[in-house]
Amino acid sequence: MTDRVAAILLVVTFLAVPLVPGDFAVVVATEILILGLFALSFNLVHGYMGQISFGHAAFFGLGAYGTALVFRAFKGAGTGVSYAEFALSMLAGLPLAAAGALVVGYFCSRLTGIYFAILSLAFGELIYHVVFSWYGFTGGDDGIQGLLPPPWFRDPVNYYYFTLAVVFVASAVLWRITRSPFGYALRMLRDNARRAAFVGIDVRLCMLCNFVVAGAFAGIAGSLWGPFSRSVSPVLLGWMQSGIPVFMTLIGGSGHFTGPMVGSVVYTGLNAYVTRFTPYWPLAIGIVILLLVLFVPGGILSMVEKRAATRSGKGR
Amino acid sequence: MDLSALALQLLSGLSRAMMLFLLASGLSLTFGVMNILNFAHATLWLLGGYLCFSVFQWLTQAGGLGSWALVPAIATSMAAMFAIGWALERFLIRRMYGRELPEQLLLTFALILVIGDLIKIIWGTQNRRLPVVIEPIEMLDSFVNPYYFVIIAAGCAVAAGLWAFLHRSRYGRIVRAAVYSRDMVSALGIRIPTIYAGVFALGVAIAALSAGLFLPVMSIGLGMDMQIIVQCFAVVVIGGFGSILGTFVASLIVGIVYAFTILIWPEGALVVIFLILVAVLIVRPWGLFGSEQRT
Repeated sequence: MTDRVAAILLVVTFLAVPLVPGDFAVVVATEILILGLFALSFNLVHGYMGQISFGHAAFFGLGAYGTALVFRAFKGAGTGVSYAEFALSMLAGLPLAAAGALVVGYFCSRLTGIYFAILSLAFGELIYHVVFSWYGFTGGDDGIQGLLPPPWFRDPVNYYYFTLAVVFVASAVLWRITRSPFGYALRMLRDNARRAAFVGIDVRLCMLCNFVVAGAFAGIAGSLWGPFSRSVSPVLLGWMQSGIPVFMTLIGGSGHFTGPMVGSVVYTGLNAYVTRFTPYWPLAIGIVILLLVLFVPGGILSMVEKRAATRSGKGR
Repeated sequence: MDLSALALQLLSGLSRAMMLFLLASGLSLTFGVMNILNFAHATLWLLGGYLCFSVFQWLTQAGGLGSWALVPAIATSMAAMFAIGWALERFLIRRMYGRELPEQLLLTFALILVIGDLIKIIWGTQNRRLPVVIEPIEMLDSFVNPYYFVIIAAGCAVAAGLWAFLHRSRYGRIVRAAVYSRDMVSALGIRIPTIYAGVFALGVAIAALSAGLFLPVMSIGLGMDMQIIVQCFAVVVIGGFGSILGTFVASLIVGIVYAFTILIWPEGALVVIFLILVAVLIVRPWGLFGSEQRT
């Protein structure tokens, strides 16, 4: 119920954003959508499978680099990329991210709890340092610049609509996955892995599949990032970047499908507006996060849900 | 490459290992005892370093202590960080004990932002280093800064002290007992909250020692905490959570491997560290010296 209302509100709001005059709102909304998709993919592992992927930015980054590398290859002669080449490079991110997730997931799916979290963090940092130090191929800490998309996509509003369409379709597919038998198998092995195994679910295979799916969707988000910010850099794979979906999911509420997107609206929106007004934005954002952690455990959506339940007299 | 160059590299690796150990031991203690992963640990380390810097500056301006002002400066910053650590545990960390790992991450990340910005407000964005001049001594056909031996000695002393504290003293035994059965220790009339606050504050104070000890040979600056904290995690995980001996051995491994890889393959030094970490986690997730029961 909360999820439906939140989803409808989100879609309506996102459709209305281009009505706001000026490019700022559209650019911020694009960022919210991309990072929101990233967080949604993280919550597939966290909310539905009960594990924490601390190296999730690796797949976001692999997606971004996959797109950027193909983009750079096409750009070569200095002329812009054509629409077909742009489409091809956008498609390159997903398989790279999924392949990365397959390797990382193969090892991570044997572990649970803090060891799962730390192994994924370790793999994330490993991939980060490889990208960071491989100057010849990835450009090292300079990253890859000048990812100028074809003319139509250069307009922020057009790119926003493109992002909105991609994120909407991807979210719908993710939503469908969480409602599928596979999605329910995930919930079961989250709550009781041993029982799931007794019923005949291949726990490791399920975890691995889910990890790959989550990595692939993080890769889609990453692919959208390059042409949006016109550049990619190793920061996109670091542990700070991995923290972002964790924060968003917790702020919005991991128990709801739309939670991470709500969290992205709060976190990215806050970031964008506070950075504009004060140089001491880390202080301001840090205090807001502190208050949220201390007083809104379970995230905004579950707080809203509780409020609504008490108001209608049903209680919980 | 001749022998003396290798020996020098070993020396720098050992001193790096000591810095990692001093930082990671606090991290390992707080995780082992309270099950809290403190991502802000390195930021507190940074704060301790800046405090030490200011006290040192004030002391050298006030009295003619010269380079020896480093000792009271480190002591003051350790005392101050102990108090700050105590207050943090009392008002914030304590609320996180029942919470899940991601929530701890979120809280300590907020602390990173807040403390980092406070440092920026108070000390600005400049990197800091102490102007302590130490005459290099001649050995192994080259010149060596004898201060490295001070660092290595201090690191080993803290390691031995911590081990003796945990295994030989009454309070250390209480701390170790609290790891295994919090309820039983509490039922025996021991105040668990005080023990937890003390352990957290101790970890933070040791971090301040690490920062102060390194200020004469290394400059510290904003943003360093982010890089160093992941390496500390690597050390803690390789050694096994909650094991002081494990943390010590792991920091030796990481420090020395880092020092030698940087000679052969400068860009890849950290890649190798994380390869080791991944390998340890795959083969022995609970670390070299940890026990298998903890999950």
